[in-house]
Amino acid sequence: MLFKNLIEYMGLEPGRLHFSWISSAESTKFVEVVNEVTSAIKALGPRKSMVKTPLTDIKDKATEHVDIH
Amino acid sequence: MLTYIDKIRQIAEGFLKEGTVDMVIGFRRGTLPLMNEPCLIKRPEDVKKLVWDSNCGINLANYLTNRKEKIGIVAKGCDSRNIVNHIIENKIKREQLFIIGVPCKGMIDRHAIEALFPSEIEEVVEDESRIVVTGGGVEQIWSKAEVLQENCTICIHRNPVVYDELVADLVVEQKDVDRYEDIRRIEGISPEEKRDYFNDLLSSCIRCYACRNACPLCYCPTCFVDASRPQWVGKSQDPTDIETFHFLRAFHCAGRCTDCGACERACPMGIKVRVLTKKLEKDCLELFDWETGMDVEKRAPLRTYSPDDPDDMIR
Amino acid sequence: MKCVKIDKKLFAGGIERLQTSYRLFGPVKDNNFHDFQALHVGETPDPTMLNTRLSPKSIVYPQSELMFEYSLDDSKKDSHILKEIVADNSPRVVIGIRPCDAKAFLLVQHNFDTLEYKDPYWVRAYEATTFVGLACNTPCSTCFCTTAGSGPFHEAGSDVLLVDTGDYYVAKIITPKGENLFKLAGWEEEAGSDNAAGEIENLKQAAEARITTRVNTDKLREKRTTDLFDASFWEEFAFSCINCGTCTYVCPTCWCFDIQDEVSKTAGVRMRNWDSCMYPLFTYHGSGHNPRDNKTKRLRQRFMHKLKYYVDKYEKGIQCVGCGRCIRFCPVNIDIRKLCEAMNNFEPAQKSI
Repeated sequence: MLFKNLIEYMGLEPGRLHFSWISSAESTKFVEVVNEVTSAIKALGPRKSMVKTPLTDIKDKATEHVDIH
Repeated sequence: MLTYIDKIRQIAEGFLKEGTVDMVIGFRRGTLPLMNEPCLIKRPEDVKKLVWDSNCGINLANYLTNRKEKIGIVAKGCDSRNIVNHIIENKIKREQLFIIGVPCKGMIDRHAIEALFPSEIEEVVEDESRIVVTGGGVEQIWSKAEVLQENCTICIHRNPVVYDELVADLVVEQKDVDRYEDIRRIEGISPEEKRDYFNDLLSSCIRCYACRNACPLCYCPTCFVDASRPQWVGKSQDPTDIETFHFLRAFHCAGRCTDCGACERACPMGIKVRVLTKKLEKDCLELFDWETGMDVEKRAPLRTYSPDDPDDMIR
Repeated sequence: MKCVKIDKKLFAGGIERLQTSYRLFGPVKDNNFHDFQALHVGETPDPTMLNTRLSPKSIVYPQSELMFEYSLDDSKKDSHILKEIVADNSPRVVIGIRPCDAKAFLLVQHNFDTLEYKDPYWVRAYEATTFVGLACNTPCSTCFCTTAGSGPFHEAGSDVLLVDTGDYYVAKIITPKGENLFKLAGWEEEAGSDNAAGEIENLKQAAEARITTRVNTDKLREKRTTDLFDASFWEEFAFSCINCGTCTYVCPTCWCFDIQDEVSKTAGVRMRNWDSCMYPLFTYHGSGHNPRDNKTKRLRQRFMHKLKYYVDKYEKGIQCVGCGRCIRFCPVNIDIRKLCEAMNNFEPAQKSI
């Protein structure tokens, strides 16, 4: 709860992080949850922040200008 | 608060002379205005080095971790709460400690004064209610209330919660304080605005880890950012790595933070890192009715399970 | 030496002209502090600064710097081959660097640019940079440059030294690099040299008189390293230290780095990042052993390096220019002036033979 609140406080959209208890006997629930999660994520689209910049972009940045700290 | 000095010295001297303690941890006068330095006193004749004023913002509980000696320690409200937390987490034993309790009236925000003052600060003199700053031929006077650290203005536990001696009568606690106005504001903005806010907040971080190291809670033998096998976080100035550090540093303080402000005070870049830890502190209060370090007997919310624990997020 | 007078009203125009030939860096105020930043068109260095919070070392020696790239994709011909990444080393100028910080580059040069070894990243960036110093008329209370081998009007390390005389800057042209830059800026009005020299001398004396703290370093060279190493004062000085990297990161002369590889999928880079002797990982061996396993040893390393090992190795004085940043920004008020004094005055207890 604290973790979810904090990460959403820092800008992760609600709907991207899911928690569920599923017993090994609950195959139907498992399928339901997986479908729900994937459709929720697809609706949100690819995440841009909290994802590390691809290395090629870092390189372009480095050769373009000097980084101050 | 200045009258505390004699009393602190007197108690410390007594402790050392009687052999009640092997050492006393307190503050000595710094070499710069607005700065006092934590120090360790072992001989009774050295107690005259001990001082107290509104520049004792460092949390001294940080210096207790895993010590084996009998220690006298000067503790304001927040220090005492972190001492309690240390005791709960087995980082020190209550029997080892002789706590010299200091009813606190708040610490001065040195970053704020440096920013407000038009010249280099040469001298700062304080009395009970105001501080006089001089430098570059300019003199400026503030009432203390105007220049306190932000965490001190919203503090509701100024008195030490555990102590063996008190240096003065307890102070009146602040009532009806809205502690979370800033947190609610951030909670209320959109995810995109939050992203912008935190990117901007952390953009000047130089990864000196002063926030982490000034914090009494950060005592892991190997911090996750220092682990190399495996390496959890990149070590460059990549903004995502920096953000990961701050996010996890804060999360590791969940249910343990007393909002003592040591992290923010230590940051050389003036980053308001408390907006992260304070969010957790607010949630711990609202979800678990928990305030850190108030009782040696109580266990922290993340160390206990109760069927009543909120679990709305679990499907 | 040639002295040039610049009317302050014409200063911004000259800076504007330099934009076409150089990348410009200067002190800019941001969130209550000055720091060196790229100057965009129309921006000029802020003349109100005492000194920047961070030193300008990152302009030549960035906190994170890419060195090589490689591919782990075996289907590619050049997989597993390190290829050098060369940063943009087009001419750049740092305007408004304080003499202490300019001098600091010369101290660091003894490490990165020697007859035996040259660090190509540092050397290329350094050589591409022209330093326009700005003499300090109002040094801070934490400055001790005059006893640390530098001074508020020190010229070493600067290609030009500007002196603020009120309505004008008087510029001492020190190197051909500096002369070239002034030509491009169009600052060519020669100052009557007698007059200018007198004015500069007066300001210099006034500035030097403001520096009241000094450190004594005269006896460091003759001390035995092992005596200092075993001195009893380290424990006391290290007590309050929290082992953060603030002192090393704000320091203009700290040069240590750590090399890291980062790989995502099959693309990899090798980079170097500033490191700090305050960090537990700094001397952590692959075996798991750490010879500097506590904060006292780490603090000792920092000050022994600056005030003893460097002194002995290079015989160019201490590895410190007296800028005072570590004193101002240390969260717990550890003061290099006190440490230097303790080291310089240290007498080992008489040893029985």
